Amino acid sequence: MIIYIIRRLLQIIPIMLGVVLLLFFLFNWVGGDPAYILAGKFSNEEQIANIRHQLGIDRPAYVQIGIFLEQIVTGDFGNSWSTGERVSEIILSRLGPSLTILLPLLFIETLLAITLALAVARIRGSLTDRMIMIFCTIGMSISILVYIIVFQYLFAYRLGWFPVQGWGNSLRENLFTYAMLPILISLMVGLAPNLRLFRSFMLDEISQDYVRTARAKGLSEKRILWIHVLRNASIPIITYIMAALPGLLVGAFLIERFFSIPGIGREVILAVERSDFPVIKAITVYVAIATIFANLLADLIYKAVDPRVELK
Amino acid sequence: MTADTLFFIEHLSIAFRRRQRNPFIAVNDISFAIRENETLAIVGESGSGKSVTALAIIGLLPNIVTQIPVSSRIMYHERNILSISENERRKMRGADFAMIFQEPMTSLNPVMTVGNQIIEVLRFKRHFSRTAARQRCIQLLDEVGLPDPERTTTHFPGQLSGGQQQRVMIAMALACEPRLLIADEPTTALDVTVQKQIIALLKKLKARHQMSILFISHDLALVGEIADRIVVMRHGSIREQGDTSQIFLNPQDHYTRALLQCRPTIDDFPNRLPVIEDFLGERSRVHSDIVKKTIENRNPPILLHADKIYKSFFRHDGLWRKYEIPAVKNISFTLRRGQTLGIVGESGSGKTTLGLTLLRLRRATQGNVTFDRQAIFSLSDQEFLPFRRRMQIVFQNPYASLNPRFTVGQSLIEPILLHRVAPDRKTAIEQALDWLSRVGLSHDVFYKFPHEFSGGQRQRIALARALTVRPDLLILDEPVSALDVSVQAQILNLLKDIQDDFGISYLFISHDLAVVHFLCDNVMVMRQGEATEIGNIREIFQNPKSDYTQQLLDSIPRGILSHA
Amino acid sequence: MSAAVSHYSKGFWQLTWRRLAMDRVGVVSLIIVLMFFMIILFSAFGLIASDWNHEVAINDAPPDLWGILTDKHTSVIQPSSNNTLSEISEPLPELSVVDPLAEDIAKLRTPIDFSSHIIDPLADTLRDIGYSQYVSTDPTTIEKRTSLPFGGDRWGRDVLKKTIKGTQTSLFVGLTAALLATFLGTLFGAFAGYYGSYIDDTLNWIYSVFNAIPYLLLVLAIAAVLQKRGIATVVLILGLTGWTGVFRLIRAEYMKHRAREYVMAARAFGVSSLRIMFIHILPNVSHIVLVEISILTVAFIKSEVILSFLGFGVAVDDVSWGSMLNDAQSELILGHWWELVAAGGAMALLVTAFSLFTDAIRDALDPKAQGAGA
Repeated sequence: MIIYIIRRLLQIIPIMLGVVLLLFFLFNWVGGDPAYILAGKFSNEEQIANIRHQLGIDRPAYVQIGIFLEQIVTGDFGNSWSTGERVSEIILSRLGPSLTILLPLLFIETLLAITLALAVARIRGSLTDRMIMIFCTIGMSISILVYIIVFQYLFAYRLGWFPVQGWGNSLRENLFTYAMLPILISLMVGLAPNLRLFRSFMLDEISQDYVRTARAKGLSEKRILWIHVLRNASIPIITYIMAALPGLLVGAFLIERFFSIPGIGREVILAVERSDFPVIKAITVYVAIATIFANLLADLIYKAVDPRVELK
Repeated sequence: MTADTLFFIEHLSIAFRRRQRNPFIAVNDISFAIRENETLAIVGESGSGKSVTALAIIGLLPNIVTQIPVSSRIMYHERNILSISENERRKMRGADFAMIFQEPMTSLNPVMTVGNQIIEVLRFKRHFSRTAARQRCIQLLDEVGLPDPERTTTHFPGQLSGGQQQRVMIAMALACEPRLLIADEPTTALDVTVQKQIIALLKKLKARHQMSILFISHDLALVGEIADRIVVMRHGSIREQGDTSQIFLNPQDHYTRALLQCRPTIDDFPNRLPVIEDFLGERSRVHSDIVKKTIENRNPPILLHADKIYKSFFRHDGLWRKYEIPAVKNISFTLRRGQTLGIVGESGSGKTTLGLTLLRLRRATQGNVTFDRQAIFSLSDQEFLPFRRRMQIVFQNPYASLNPRFTVGQSLIEPILLHRVAPDRKTAIEQALDWLSRVGLSHDVFYKFPHEFSGGQRQRIALARALTVRPDLLILDEPVSALDVSVQAQILNLLKDIQDDFGISYLFISHDLAVVHFLCDNVMVMRQGEATEIGNIREIFQNPKSDYTQQLLDSIPRGILSHA
Repeated sequence: MSAAVSHYSKGFWQLTWRRLAMDRVGVVSLIIVLMFFMIILFSAFGLIASDWNHEVAINDAPPDLWGILTDKHTSVIQPSSNNTLSEISEPLPELSVVDPLAEDIAKLRTPIDFSSHIIDPLADTLRDIGYSQYVSTDPTTIEKRTSLPFGGDRWGRDVLKKTIKGTQTSLFVGLTAALLATFLGTLFGAFAGYYGSYIDDTLNWIYSVFNAIPYLLLVLAIAAVLQKRGIATVVLILGLTGWTGVFRLIRAEYMKHRAREYVMAARAFGVSSLRIMFIHILPNVSHIVLVEISILTVAFIKSEVILSFLGFGVAVDDVSWGSMLNDAQSELILGHWWELVAAGGAMALLVTAFSLFTDAIRDALDPKAQGAGA
């Protein structure tokens, strides 16, 4: 097991390097000279040259990559180009609000989706099952924007059940006042695709031979679903959730933007709007690192749940 | 219906609903009885309805598409179990009757320990306490002959071999102390030597537990070793039923007779196998009394010589280490023109890898092969191309060996044009059509897609495709293993005819000693990558030198002959 | 050979089509999808909705669907306001600075009861003139309508035409990006899966790198560095980042098919690798490619809508469902729901139809239903 972990950690190195190269290429060549963006419209050659020197982009590429690597390791990406705040502080302070939304959402959504998927899997092929699936498809087809716009208008603006937007200082206040509607909307949006996906995982398992064996043993349908099928289906479910986790951190950006929640997602949008490269770069790098480690963790859990996986 | 009748199946018919088509009738009005403490076998080829019958008895047919007429009855303890509620039937499953399946690997839950899967039955079906269930579980694993049963309880199915998994399945079925054990092709996925052990185990357990066994199989000879009575089915109907000795010694039905004689045996050397049409008279087919063309030259020139072929695969282990898994170890042999060399071995013996390595579809780790006096392993791909025309292969799985998106014609013409066997497309089509006739197929096959053909027909097409380039050597990798007995005989006859007509050398890879005995001049026995024995077919079969060969020969099911 | 044609049996795609034709939901959704394609074709060639950018009605003209039949869209002539189209780029009011009187204003602006108005008998003629002489030619007066079938936006543009144009943009972006992504994914997947070894290692490395960055974050990061906005940019961003899923699937399929006997047989004949990859194997995985195009089209339409909503997508002088939703957000607060319904509804209809069609074709392609398996 330890050898496996070391091995996987070693495999991470080239991927990390790839991410660094990709981002370096993206921010230093694809987007043109960052100095012009930073300098703004009114600048002369001297100012530009000055900024180029400050940013280090007048030095050879390998030195610049070195600087980039150093930034990643030390976590010091300098200051934001637009607000002047330290990038590391921006990220740290935005993490809390994002997680306040994310963690309860993830928990409720997964639990609900699995329970519903099992229920639907039990009546697979019936009219109810087909209707639920068609409803899911229709639900998934409506833009997330429409959900947010309509529900914010209806529940917050017209009915006044929730605050239209905002964010407080205490966790309690945030969780029970400001986060409620965002979580509710995210839940409505996220449930349909998850239900559909988990149902397909369950159905894949139900058609397996071992389920036939369990039936031949005369076990109850309930036990077959909750013990045999769920234990097998939980493997792709866990892998899916783990892999999707870091993406969710950013994925909530629409919610965060509409409800003015100072989270990571909203920060990304703001940074993109302001061409604030250091912030985007830093967030991208750290989310990528988080993704890589989440995948590693997913593999380890996978290993723990599934005795078939051989450690290679 | 006599006093010792356990089950009585009366006028059972089963149909499956199909979309936009008439229902498919899988079983058509069959009646038979299963007596107490007997082993009843249902024998039939694919599509005979034997497995469907078994699933109907245990109640595992998919309810949505299954249609069973009300006149059908399955009587057990004076109740028609087709008319009782699903809940009651569920209670009977795993208590009154249990079932084991063909594929033990997929039939066990991969993420649950073997122990828990057995304990589950004891606790939920027989209401054992946790500790008692564990005790009994260990006893059961011991009884089915698993080494170290206590530790085995903690193993996952993936950690066991196929034979061990099937033993676990049997232990699980026994946990219920069923009155009837249904075994659906329980040994088909296993090697012959393992098959023999499982059959012996089933016999022993049947006697000890006072239960009946319903044994479903395609293999009449195997059934002869275990069954008290036999039901022969074909196309959903019963052709004949009777005591085993009567079925074997005095079969009344033509089809039964055909099944008995289509299989090659290791006791005689026919030039040709009887085929099913000979018995059923379904098609009048006159075949001239075939006399094998005597090969004048007893020692024809050498076509293929393999010298110490060694092939291994690598796996990563630990941090950097690679370790080697040898698949083929220093195999040497010689194949002469117009002759057949059989390569026999169980799964994992490396026989298929050897075949692929000879064709350079796998790269040999070491060793040399000369084909028609030319060393072929040292050639570049470009230099080797002409040899690809001269050495061809036919694979085991007829369903995967033809490109599903190509018409048969496309599949046949491609190699002809690639190797410029024909000067133009028109001639190529003519040649392809000739080859189709030669393997016994009509010309309209040319325009069809593979999915419209049966396994036997596909194997003929695959054979025609290999022959289009007029090879000198044909490697036949288990070409008849996936086919029904009656079709096997036809293909084997065809292979003999083709060899006689064209003087092709065969390298015949098989796990089936009887088939090898029928077709081959020489044989090599392989085990775990090594050749344990090589030589003339008669000598080896009559007087095996190695214990392993002897063991293989002893494992061949021989029907009631083994009782005698 | 001509006589032989009749001998040909039904191939895989014919059988698939036959099964699909039996699936009622599938057929209906296919028809809807095809209708959308017709609309964008007409719109692309300028046959309909080419004048979507014109102010044809009063600001925030309410919808009146039945007006088409009864011709009750009363036209009024009013002095041309300063409401020129350059205003579009003006920042929209944020939710936080909503006018507290908004609700009252909304009430004031609720649709007028048209039955009480006099129908102008010359309306048709005037409208024709108004159309041809649009805006700048007549700086003093312009003919404007008080209602439109789907309503008008805050600059008096026809929401129906906007929706058609928006459909063209969003569907075009979704489909083109999906084709690009599927092409890349299939090509890379084929090479990685068929050749294995170091080619696989390299491509797999690229895949892992792309996969390590959450998709939307990568898209936003690229949008940030690319200062140029426009349809081509969006297609490139989505296409170049979205190939990874296809790659993984196709790679796995090629690895599977590579070991199949029919491929071995082709190799035994010495058929070249490229021919095996693209003539032999590709038709056997083409159904997966098709389903992936369909899935990605839907995903990319959704992504485009979000990007354009945020202003990172299509250019400001273009319209897509995303930019419509952006307009609609501020309109809704005034009670003007019609643009939201038009854009959201059009998208929901297309995406639902597309998804149901994808499901139907996947069922029709299901090998288990084919009866071809062992």
